[in-house]
Amino acid sequence: MNTRIPRALFALGTAGVLTVGCTPAAQETKIAEPGAEVSGTVELWHFFTEREAAAIDTVVKEFETTHPKVKVTIKSGQDDSKVTQAIGAGNGPDIGLSYSTDIVGKFCSSGAWVDLTPYLTRDKVDLSGLNPTTRQYTEYGGKRCAMPFLADAYGMFYNKELFAKAGIAGPPKTLDELAAAAKKLTVRNPDGSLKRVGFLPLFDFYENAPSHLAPAVGATWLTADGKSAIGADPAWKTLLTWQKSLVDWYGYENLQKFRAGLGDEFSADNAFQKGQVAINVDAEYRLAFLADQAPELSYGVAPLPTTDPARYGGGYVTGNIVGISKNAKNPEAAWALIKYLTTDDNTIVKLANALRNLPTTTAATADPALKVDPAFKTFLDIFANPNSSTTPPSQSGPAYQETFQTFLTGWQAGKVSDLDAGLAEADKQVNSVMTLGG
Amino acid sequence: MSAQPLAIRIRRHATTLSFLAPALIGIVVFFGYPLVSAVYFSFTKFDLLSTPQWVGLANYRRMADDPFLLQSVRNTLWMVAVFVPVRIVSAIGLAVLLTQLKRGAGFFRTIFFLPSLAPPVAATIAFVYLLKPGTGPVNTALAHLGIDGPLWFSSPEWAKPSLVLLGLWGIGDLMVIFLAGVLGVPTSLYEAAALDGANAWHRFRYVTLPTIRPVILFAAVTGVIYTLQYFDQAAVAGSIASGQATTGGGISQSFGFPEGSTFTYPLWLYTVGFRYHALGYANALAVALFAVAFAVTVILLRRAKAFSGEETS
Amino acid sequence: MTAVLETPPTVVPSPPAARRARRQNRLAWIGRHSIAIALAVMFLTPVVYLVLISLMTSDQALTSDYWPNSWHPENYVRVFEVTPLPRYLLNTMLYALTATALMLLSSVPAAYALAKLRFRGRNLLFLVIICVMMLPPQVVTVPLYLMWARNGLTGSLWPLVIPTLFGDAFAIFLLRQFLLTIPQEYLDAAKVDGCGEWRTLIRVVLPMARPGIAAAGLFQFFYCWNDYYGPLLYTSENEQAWTLSLGLASFHSVHHVDWNLVIAATVLTMAPIIVVFFFAQRAFVQGVTLTGVKG
Repeated sequence: MNTRIPRALFALGTAGVLTVGCTPAAQETKIAEPGAEVSGTVELWHFFTEREAAAIDTVVKEFETTHPKVKVTIKSGQDDSKVTQAIGAGNGPDIGLSYSTDIVGKFCSSGAWVDLTPYLTRDKVDLSGLNPTTRQYTEYGGKRCAMPFLADAYGMFYNKELFAKAGIAGPPKTLDELAAAAKKLTVRNPDGSLKRVGFLPLFDFYENAPSHLAPAVGATWLTADGKSAIGADPAWKTLLTWQKSLVDWYGYENLQKFRAGLGDEFSADNAFQKGQVAINVDAEYRLAFLADQAPELSYGVAPLPTTDPARYGGGYVTGNIVGISKNAKNPEAAWALIKYLTTDDNTIVKLANALRNLPTTTAATADPALKVDPAFKTFLDIFANPNSSTTPPSQSGPAYQETFQTFLTGWQAGKVSDLDAGLAEADKQVNSVMTLGG
Repeated sequence: MSAQPLAIRIRRHATTLSFLAPALIGIVVFFGYPLVSAVYFSFTKFDLLSTPQWVGLANYRRMADDPFLLQSVRNTLWMVAVFVPVRIVSAIGLAVLLTQLKRGAGFFRTIFFLPSLAPPVAATIAFVYLLKPGTGPVNTALAHLGIDGPLWFSSPEWAKPSLVLLGLWGIGDLMVIFLAGVLGVPTSLYEAAALDGANAWHRFRYVTLPTIRPVILFAAVTGVIYTLQYFDQAAVAGSIASGQATTGGGISQSFGFPEGSTFTYPLWLYTVGFRYHALGYANALAVALFAVAFAVTVILLRRAKAFSGEETS
Repeated sequence: MTAVLETPPTVVPSPPAARRARRQNRLAWIGRHSIAIALAVMFLTPVVYLVLISLMTSDQALTSDYWPNSWHPENYVRVFEVTPLPRYLLNTMLYALTATALMLLSSVPAAYALAKLRFRGRNLLFLVIICVMMLPPQVVTVPLYLMWARNGLTGSLWPLVIPTLFGDAFAIFLLRQFLLTIPQEYLDAAKVDGCGEWRTLIRVVLPMARPGIAAAGLFQFFYCWNDYYGPLLYTSENEQAWTLSLGLASFHSVHHVDWNLVIAATVLTMAPIIVVFFFAQRAFVQGVTLTGVKG
């Protein structure tokens, strides 16, 4: 703490003089010759905590043994805002590891993360080994400023015991089947309130975000020129009408009341784990939670139901991303660590096994060392399915999704009478918020 | 005084300045500079990562059709219109009650005062737990009475009233201020009123209330200012009631839960500034907030004699 | 618990109606005290209840029970095991104590000048101070944040401590109001004895202003102790610098299943404040009063 006092005094001295924002000029990426040995310290910021943070530590230790001249310092529990602020203030970490692909647009276009292409070319890294969707969400405007660090694929979890009791043969494959199954699985109390819910269709429940459900109808977010495509895409209307009719079947008030009594998503009281909800949209990481917190539960996994059978098998794909700050002090060593974490198949398998997330390279996916059970395999298949998609990167980050989410909470509450007019309004809001960031 | 020699006057000024220097620097550096800077940034587009670009009034025009802003303004106005008067009326009620107690007034005053010291984060967590819709003690107690309790922090209609309830629990500081006001009413006034046959209500209405009017004004103005910056409780209540995990104590996506009903103006400002990093727009919001807060302060300065700085000498 | 309260105004009834009035008074007495007791119970129940919850098992804390089936004081030990609570406590104390000390050092002289010295622009300066005091902190948040970030001080509590070196508007206001009540004669006497302004302040004013200074100090202390916005803004990236409020908010997001632990941590956060209060009750109540009704 004491070392900071001189800096504090300096701060005071300069405070009065500073008037205009002056972000440090972006450094030209000067990269070393091929084969040069890297050394020095590297600072890595990531968002993981506890068990997952420990897994990162282990892998980084291994990196340090193979690169004896490099020392890695890790700061855990850092969210995107903090990374952005640090970079903006000129003291960004060498490496940032984020859980949100939404920042790629902003970080690439503003140059906050450097373009990795020179390193990739120099080290002859073949990107075709990466899963195509992950390749998509790690670049923006032709600039590759991030690498994918494990991935998540979203599918459907269903409670086998409840399915058997209700006489439903297998997982629903279309939205209509999903609605029918949901109704069959729902149990009401004598007073009409909900005791168990087949599928809880509220968009702000657990992982039911519109981005996760969009692949069910093949809905698109943005036009090619970065404007909102929501109002013009009939697929959204299909999803929303379907959702609202199911919400109305339950009664919005009933659902609200039911939801208020449910446990938190990442707790042992997760409603699916407790059997309070029979069908749930979730990603592969849930498997680890189920094994840990609800080992007795008999469940199955399947891809998301779709409106068009041709699209069945795909789902929403996202993942963690990692990049080098423009004001990194040691970009060469930073790149060495990123390369180790995101292109070394052995490391990827180790990380995937430890975190129970999906490996991002085709080779790692096929690696016999990867722990695969049938449920995990389902998610690997969703991940590899050509119909899988992700949310498009945007300069304004996740603002467009959050804006639409707000519209949706109004919609499901019955506050939107005219859907077309409502969607047009949502378009306007999204476009307004898109110009806001950046 | 003007006849003093120059040397003495200079010394006097130097002494005065030595008393005031830290505060003057503080005002310039931590108030003047950021205020000017906020005004400047409000005319720019600035994302922290690239250099600010001059955009004129664009940020202010955007405020006109920002649905979130509208929502947050509505919520904040609701709080101003309900929270402030409810707190004042309750605080006066408690204060008057305390003055009427012949036994244990000090004891009761301590009890009523203590919760106001509880850290807002702690108090909010406690209330979200107490008001949990499913198994929370309040609804359990209500169920025993045959009442179907509301969803409190989980319902868009009840979330703000729940915050008001939380505010009432911490009413002690305001109560003490009114207590001093009520005790400051000269006893002779009450005696005169009693002789005229005034009952308790009349005595309160025509003696107590007019005498403590300046205190009420003070409480109203500071209450409005406090409500304009209402942040901690709304932020914590939203994230906890939503049941969504947040990382590292950082900015929560669940601000405003449920359905934006607890999304106050400062929450929106914080989100724009430190989540979207649209610093130009955030500063425009800040400038607008300053204008409102300043107007309220001016009302206070004009009305309250207490602030007219000259009554001493 | 000593009552600081002065004797309440009692209304003396006129002799003819005395007996009836006495009976009525007794009824009213019972009525008022019943209301007071009911209210006191309402104010206290949450605290009592929280303590009970904090002693339950985590399973029972999720039920609607009021009384622990079995007692688990070890929950409090667990809280220390799963969070760096001592670290948060230390940070909070350092922040609150340093900020209070520095604030008093810089604000007392300023308040004294505003109350007792004559100089041009005094009223204007006082108005500016009131404006600063009334200003919502969010207004200047962004530029100040940028200022601290550029100097590499975010991630620490320095951005919150350093400004207190330069006076706090609210404290200056409060102290000025208090210093106004010190009769000028004392100061004049000191000057006759040859004291300069600084000596007068230290020798004469400080001892007399002790209650006011105590109140201003307590306010700053409690403000810092309870502050959430400031530490959230400046320290959330560095867990080493977190304060209790921030630690508590994020403790919940990590351990929200274990309500017993969350509530135990909440109780632990509230406890020090209550202890301080019982030691400084008098100064505190006087201070609060001072904010509202001077002049």
